[in-house]
Amino acid sequence: MLEHLGEKLILHVMIGSFSLRFDLVTIIMSWVVIVLLVVLALWLRRGLRQEIEEKPNRIQAMVDALVDLLKGQLTSSFASEKLARELFPFISTLFLFVLLSNWLSVIPYCDSPTKDLNVTLSLALLVFFVSHWFAFRMKGGRRYLKGFIEPYPFMLPLNIVGEIAKPVSHAFRLFGNIFGGAILLAVVSAELIPVVVPAALNAFFGLFIGAIQAFVFAMLAVAYINVAVES
Amino acid sequence: MNLEWGKVVTSLNWTFVFNLVNFAILLYLLKRLLFKPALAYLDRRRELIASRMESARADEEKAARLAAERTEVLKTAYEQSRQIVEKTHAQAEETIVAAKSEAKQDAERILDDARMQIEQERAQMEQELRRAYAEIAVLGASRVLNREVKLEDHRRLLDELLAEIGEEALRMEQ
Amino acid sequence: MLQDTQNVVSGISGADIATAAKYLAAGFVMAIGSIGSAIGEGLVAAHALDGIARQPEMEGALMRTMVVGQAITESTGIYSLVVAIILLLVV
Repeated sequence: MLEHLGEKLILHVMIGSFSLRFDLVTIIMSWVVIVLLVVLALWLRRGLRQEIEEKPNRIQAMVDALVDLLKGQLTSSFASEKLARELFPFISTLFLFVLLSNWLSVIPYCDSPTKDLNVTLSLALLVFFVSHWFAFRMKGGRRYLKGFIEPYPFMLPLNIVGEIAKPVSHAFRLFGNIFGGAILLAVVSAELIPVVVPAALNAFFGLFIGAIQAFVFAMLAVAYINVAVES
Repeated sequence: MNLEWGKVVTSLNWTFVFNLVNFAILLYLLKRLLFKPALAYLDRRRELIASRMESARADEEKAARLAAERTEVLKTAYEQSRQIVEKTHAQAEETIVAAKSEAKQDAERILDDARMQIEQERAQMEQELRRAYAEIAVLGASRVLNREVKLEDHRRLLDELLAEIGEEALRMEQ
Repeated sequence: MLQDTQNVVSGISGADIATAAKYLAAGFVMAIGSIGSAIGEGLVAAHALDGIARQPEMEGALMRTMVVGQAITESTGIYSLVVAIILLLVV
């Protein structure tokens, strides 16, 4: 059962003589996540279409709580109100995608897309480029470039390494947590105790750690963008 | 197109790009389907709540104004009633004082009258007494003249006389 | 007896030694690498609790900052986990 532990199904697509490799499971599971999120969005939107009454109905209250969570916990840490409003969809989508990806592993025959380094690294690099794009836009070219040689010019290599370390640690944190949980779960259920304990472990790693890591991922995205814009 | 098992961490591949495209699509869809309506809905509700608050505040202000007016009216009414009561009190006081003084005067007048009457009566009585004494004296003298008077008889006679006078005097006084 | 030992020793190939070293290294990486992050996370939680005990009304902000701080502190532990996984599954 463990002979394919840590290995993935790779799909080779030949375009001409060029071979493109894809992780089949990751792709299907990320589609599942996207479909779930879109269904959720449509369901919530149907509730929002109704007229506003004295008391908000159940869906409206849910939307209220969700937006309250996303706004109050995540985007309220932004330096300026304008930045928070502009990046609210991005950060919220990031959070919801990672959260549902992490939670997907508790459903049988499903796997977390975030177990794949490709996914986490792409999201982390996206956050990296977004943060630098916003820093460049808000500070202007001169001040943006000057930020790399502060406080002293000879710190330039250190600053560059620090900037590169951000997305790498961002990606590896999520990947390591989810993948480590999955490996532990696979080992425990295949070799040690196949009953009861894997379920509890799955709930812990899938739901609890998954939620914490999704929150941390979004929160760190906010923090990185904030630091890049402010300093 | 074929499938095979691949190693884990080393397999950075085109899933990377694929996932970026996926994420972009998801971002667009969620922005379109969820965040825009949700934020619009929240804005609408905030406006509704703000307008309700505004109207509630206006109502409250109106109520406060009305209450103030009522208090003012009540205060003036109370003041007026108090004045009226005070005035009435003063009038009553005055009336009482006037009545009292009048009564006093009346009483004094009555007393004076009574005193004067007493005086007159006394004078009248004294006159009568004097006349009675004279009659008695005349009577006694006539008796003395009619018979010899012993010492004892004389005393008895005098006693009788005195008693008569006394009774007479008592009757007169009554 | 001596013959047996010689047989066993000569039966061990270089690949066996490499496999043993791999597993040993993975174990050591996890054991030593997680010490630092564990202590660090404990310190973060302790001070956050301190702060909450002193100012209970700040609990929300403190919890949020604590979780992010712990996540950053956890980085080194995660790195060692990744290294251990690479040692076990890839090398």
